[in-house]
Amino acid sequence: MASLMTSRVIFNPVLRKTVKLIFSKELRNYQCCIRANKYALPVINYVRLYASEKKVYSREKPHCNVGTIGHVDHGKTTLTAAITKVLADKRLAEAKGYTDIDNAPEEKARGITINVAHVEYATDSRHYGHTDCPGHADYIKNMITGTAQMDGAILVVAATDGAMPQTREHLLLAKQIGVNHIVVFINKVDAADKEMVELVEMEIRELLSEMGYDGDNIPVIQGSALCALEGKNPEIGAQAILKLLDEVDKHIPTPVRELDKPFLLPVENTYSIQGRGTVVTGRLERGILKKGMECEFVGYNKVLKTTVTGVEMFHQILEEAQAGDQVGALVRGVKRDDVKRGMVMCKPGTVKACDQVEAQVYILTKEEGGRSRPFTSFIQLQMFSRTWDCASQVTIPDNKEMVMPGEDTKLVLRLMRPMVLEKGQRFTLRDGSLTLGTGVITNILPALTDKERQSLTEGKKAREQRLKAEQQ
Amino acid sequence: MFSGNIIRFIHVGYTVFNASNKTLLSKLRKQTGYTFANCKKALELNDYNYSLAEKWLQDQAQQLGWSKATKLEGRITAQGLVAVGMEKNNAVIVEVNCETDFVARNKNFSSLVELAATTCLNHTASVPVGSHLSRFQLDAEILKSLKVHDGKTLSDHLALVIGKVGENLSLRRATCFHAADGILLAGYAHPSPNFQSSVLLGKFGAVVAYQADSPSQSDTKLRENLSVDEIGRQLCQHVVGMNPVKIGEVGQDTPANNPDDESCMIYQEYLLDPSQTVGEMLASTSISVLDFARYECGEELLENTENNSSKVAVEIGG
Repeated sequence: MASLMTSRVIFNPVLRKTVKLIFSKELRNYQCCIRANKYALPVINYVRLYASEKKVYSREKPHCNVGTIGHVDHGKTTLTAAITKVLADKRLAEAKGYTDIDNAPEEKARGITINVAHVEYATDSRHYGHTDCPGHADYIKNMITGTAQMDGAILVVAATDGAMPQTREHLLLAKQIGVNHIVVFINKVDAADKEMVELVEMEIRELLSEMGYDGDNIPVIQGSALCALEGKNPEIGAQAILKLLDEVDKHIPTPVRELDKPFLLPVENTYSIQGRGTVVTGRLERGILKKGMECEFVGYNKVLKTTVTGVEMFHQILEEAQAGDQVGALVRGVKRDDVKRGMVMCKPGTVKACDQVEAQVYILTKEEGGRSRPFTSFIQLQMFSRTWDCASQVTIPDNKEMVMPGEDTKLVLRLMRPMVLEKGQRFTLRDGSLTLGTGVITNILPALTDKERQSLTEGKKAREQRLKAEQQ
Repeated sequence: MFSGNIIRFIHVGYTVFNASNKTLLSKLRKQTGYTFANCKKALELNDYNYSLAEKWLQDQAQQLGWSKATKLEGRITAQGLVAVGMEKNNAVIVEVNCETDFVARNKNFSSLVELAATTCLNHTASVPVGSHLSRFQLDAEILKSLKVHDGKTLSDHLALVIGKVGENLSLRRATCFHAADGILLAGYAHPSPNFQSSVLLGKFGAVVAYQADSPSQSDTKLRENLSVDEIGRQLCQHVVGMNPVKIGEVGQDTPANNPDDESCMIYQEYLLDPSQTVGEMLASTSISVLDFARYECGEELLENTENNSSKVAVEIGG
C-alpha cells in the first residue's frame, strides 16, 4: 500500500501536492524520502508497485501454525528472528528484531491474558503463523483459546548443552497440547565440535522416542541461528535456516481446511415459511452446503434425517454455501417445532451427541472477570458452546480437591442432556452472570447410565449418603 | 606394500581413537548429566581417562554451578513451588522460585524444594520451644546459609541445580511454626503434583495452628463425621482458597457488607460448606484457630511486613 501510494504520488503532481500537505507535519522523513525518490528512482518505484501486487497472491498459500519450544537460553527467540531475517531477504517475511519477539506482549484472547509472541512469515509453499510463549501455562492457554492452535513445533536444543532436564517437560507439553509433529533444530553448532553435535542428535532422538515420538525419523537440522541473524557462515547460518524451513514444509502436514471437511451448521434460528416449509439459519461452520444434499439434525436426544431443498444467503438463492457464510437452509418434511436452536445440521453420521466429556479448562481470575474464590467438585455450571447451552455438573479428576482462579485444569463435565460435542470443540462455563472459565474438549467419555444421570440432580446431602452407602 | 600397511595401520588407529573418545563422552554425559561442553572439557583435561574425568566433573560441579549462578543472577524468577513440611510439633512453609514453569515441574527442582523444606524443619526443631506457639520468618539470606545434613549450605545445593537446569533459581522465604503440647498444626499445598514426595508441594501452601477443646455433648455433630486432623486440613484448604487476611475476633471486627470481600476468617463462608461461616463451624466443633500462614507462589509482598517479621520471632499467646 505504501509503495503504491509512493508511485502514484510520483506520477501525479496534483496528488503529490495533496499528500505533501497531509504529511507535512507528522511525517517529515517520509516526505523527504518521496522527494529524493522523485529525482532519483522513479523506475524502481514502479517495479515496487508490481511487487506489492504479487504479494497479495502469496496469501493464498495454505496456512499452518508452528511454534518454538525449548530451554530459555537455547536460542528460541534468536531462531525466530533468524527465520524472519532469512525469509525477509527472499521477500517472504518482515524481519523482526530479537527484542520485538522476546518481550512476548500480554494479549487478550477470549478475555484471557496470555504472554505470547505471534510472528508471521511464508516459505515458497506455505504461509506460517509462529507462536513463542515463555511458559507452560501460556501454551496451555493458547491451546484453550485456540487463537493459534499449533500444528507442529520446532524443538530448539543448543549443541553446547544438549537436552536439559526440563526438555522432558517441554515434550510432555507438546503431547498435551496435541502437537504430533516435531522438527528439531540443534543450535549453536559453531560453539561445539562435530562429535558433540552428533551425540546431541543421538541423545535427542533417544529422548523423543522415549516420549512417544518417532525419534528415528524426526528431521534434525544443525545450524546457528546467531550466524544466520548476523549474516555470517552461510553454511550453518542462512542455509541451515532454509533447510530447517524446508523440513518444516515437508514434515508438518498442512491442517485440513474447514472448507474441506464434511459440512456442519449449528442452528441459530428456525422459521416456518408458508408454502415452502421450514428454514433453519446459522453460520456454516465448515464444509460446503448445496441444494439436494442429505442432512441430519442432531441434539436434544433427537436425530432427524432429511434433505436440503434450498440454500439462501441475504434472501438470494445460493448455488453453494461455503464455511463461514451466514445462510438459511430450506429442509424437506421437517416441522418447525422438530428443530430448534442448539441443534446441529450436518452430513449424516459425522457427529454424535454425548453427555460426558473430559476437557482442559482455564479458570478466569477475578481481574479477568471470573470468580474470586475456588470451586470444588459437583458444582453446577452452565456450559455454552456453538449455539446451545446446557446445565452441567463439574467434577475435578486426579484427586484434586479444588480449582483456584487463574489455574488451568482437567475437568470432567456431565451434561443434563446429550448435545453435539466433538474433540477440539471450544466452550465457555458460566455461573449466573459470571464467566467462570473457557475450555476445549480433549476426550469424549462413555454416555451416562440412567443411574448416573439421576445422580446429577441430587443434592449434597443425598450424594454424601449415597457415597457412604457405596463405600460400605 | 610395506608402506601401504603402515598407512592403513595409522588410519585405522586414528578412527578407533576418535570413536572411543566419542563413546567416552557419551557415557560421561549419560552418567553425570552435565552439559556436553563440560563433559568434553573434563575428558580433555584428564587425557580421556574416564574415571578421572568423572571425578573432576564431580569436584567441579559445585564451582561450575556457582559460576552459572553468578552469570544468571538478576534474572527474574516468578515461577516455582511452595513446599509445606510437617513433623511432629513443627511445620514450615517455604517458597523457592525459578524462571519457567517447565522447571517447576522438573524432578531436579522439586527435589531441591523438598530439601529446603526438610532443612528448615530441622532448623525449626533445633530452636528452643516457647511456652505456646512460636512463629518466625526466614528471609533469603538466612535460608541460603542454612546447613544441610551433608554439611553444605542450601545455597550450595541451589547452585548445583542451577548448573543442571541452566535457569536462575532463588530461595525466597520461609515461615516456621513450633508448637507446644496441645497445639495442633495442619498443612496443605495446592495443587498437589502427581509425584510422591516427603513434603507437600504446590503453587499455594498453608499452615494452620489450632486447638481442639474436648467437645461438649451437644456440639459434636461435625466432629462425628470428621477427625480433628481432617478439619485442620480443611481449614488450610479454606485459607488457600479464600485468602483471609486475619483470623478476626468477635466484638472487635465487624463482618464486611459484601461477603465476597470478607477478609476476616471467622466471618468468611466456609469453603467446604458455604451454608455456614468459619466462625460457626469452629464453634460447633469446639476448635479454635490460633494462627495461620498462606503462601502463593510468585505473589507480591509488601516490603514493610517482610522486614518486620523476617528477623523477629513472634510469640503468640494461646
